[in-house]
Amino acid sequence: MESKNSSNRKTRRVRRKVEDVKGLSITSLLDVLTIILVFLIKNVSTESVKISTEKDINYPSTITNDLLMEKAEVTPVKIFTDRIILGNESLNFGSPQDLLLSTDKRKAIQQYLKVEADAIYNNSSEEVEACLIVQADNNIQCEYISEIVKIGTSVGYTRIYFATLEDPDWLKNTNVASR
Amino acid sequence: MATYRPSQMRQQKAQTAPQEPNLVPIMNLFLTIIPFMLMFVVISQVALVALNFSSGEGGGGSSGGGGSGKDLEKVEIIVLDSEYAKTNKFLGFEIREPGMDAKMISANNENYNFVALDRLIKEIRARKADLVDITVTVYPYVLYGDLIRTIDLCKSNGFTQVHYNRAVASFY
Repeated sequence: MESKNSSNRKTRRVRRKVEDVKGLSITSLLDVLTIILVFLIKNVSTESVKISTEKDINYPSTITNDLLMEKAEVTPVKIFTDRIILGNESLNFGSPQDLLLSTDKRKAIQQYLKVEADAIYNNSSEEVEACLIVQADNNIQCEYISEIVKIGTSVGYTRIYFATLEDPDWLKNTNVASR
Repeated sequence: MATYRPSQMRQQKAQTAPQEPNLVPIMNLFLTIIPFMLMFVVISQVALVALNFSSGEGGGGSSGGGGSGKDLEKVEIIVLDSEYAKTNKFLGFEIREPGMDAKMISANNENYNFVALDRLIKEIRARKADLVDITVTVYPYVLYGDLIRTIDLCKSNGFTQVHYNRAVASFY
């Protein structure tokens, strides 16, 4: 009996215990993604048209923020202190002073905006409205803005938007500064 | 002869899943950091201020108007410029309201007094709760930033239909 047991021991196969392979933990990855998601949601813009900010323009601050119309086709007008850039093609139409002093420049701007407005109304459905987005520097005089607004409305732009930076506290800061 | 079933404890030990690292402290850390990050982060976002010229607005002409086309009780804020100040010795805002004397808000050291303007617009809003139309008339040498701030104060006080008007039309 004893000898039988000893033979069994000899023939017994000894298997090495296979350690369980731990799966990669994606919990940390999920945490990181959640954080990124929070920032993305914070920064997301629901505007149908992306308005690029210009480094050379010092935007005014506003408390209010009007949403762009749902069915709006936009033509940007960027008024720098030294130049006026029109349209998505960023065409240079000279300096703001030219807008007042040169009849040719004024007519060229009017003609360009008219072509753009006509293209919007001809190529789109009836409900679409042509909108002008004016991005101008804080220190531009209003006579240039008025002229652009006048030209824009005369060629068929029904809505004019002014690009600003949203700052709910600008009035409070003004209050503190004036004390 | 007594028979014994295999030990249950041994079975359980063998089947125990490997423990995951404790993420609770990390999560606590994140939950502390994220609100601070969100609080201190500065995100520059382009906002828009809209003017509607869809029904006959002159587009910067001297006539003003626009909006619904009906006879409006016209409250007007005139932003005076440096050229006006040279001849009239006054820089600031003039507010005209039907049935009331014109009110003047003088500038402080060549800076427009937006705090006083905001206070005055609030008073008008309190008197005329249903009025949504207001006209902003701007002189040519007023800076764009001051114009936008004036329009912004009108809009933030419930005057959603802001009509843009310029004081001098000298071209075309």
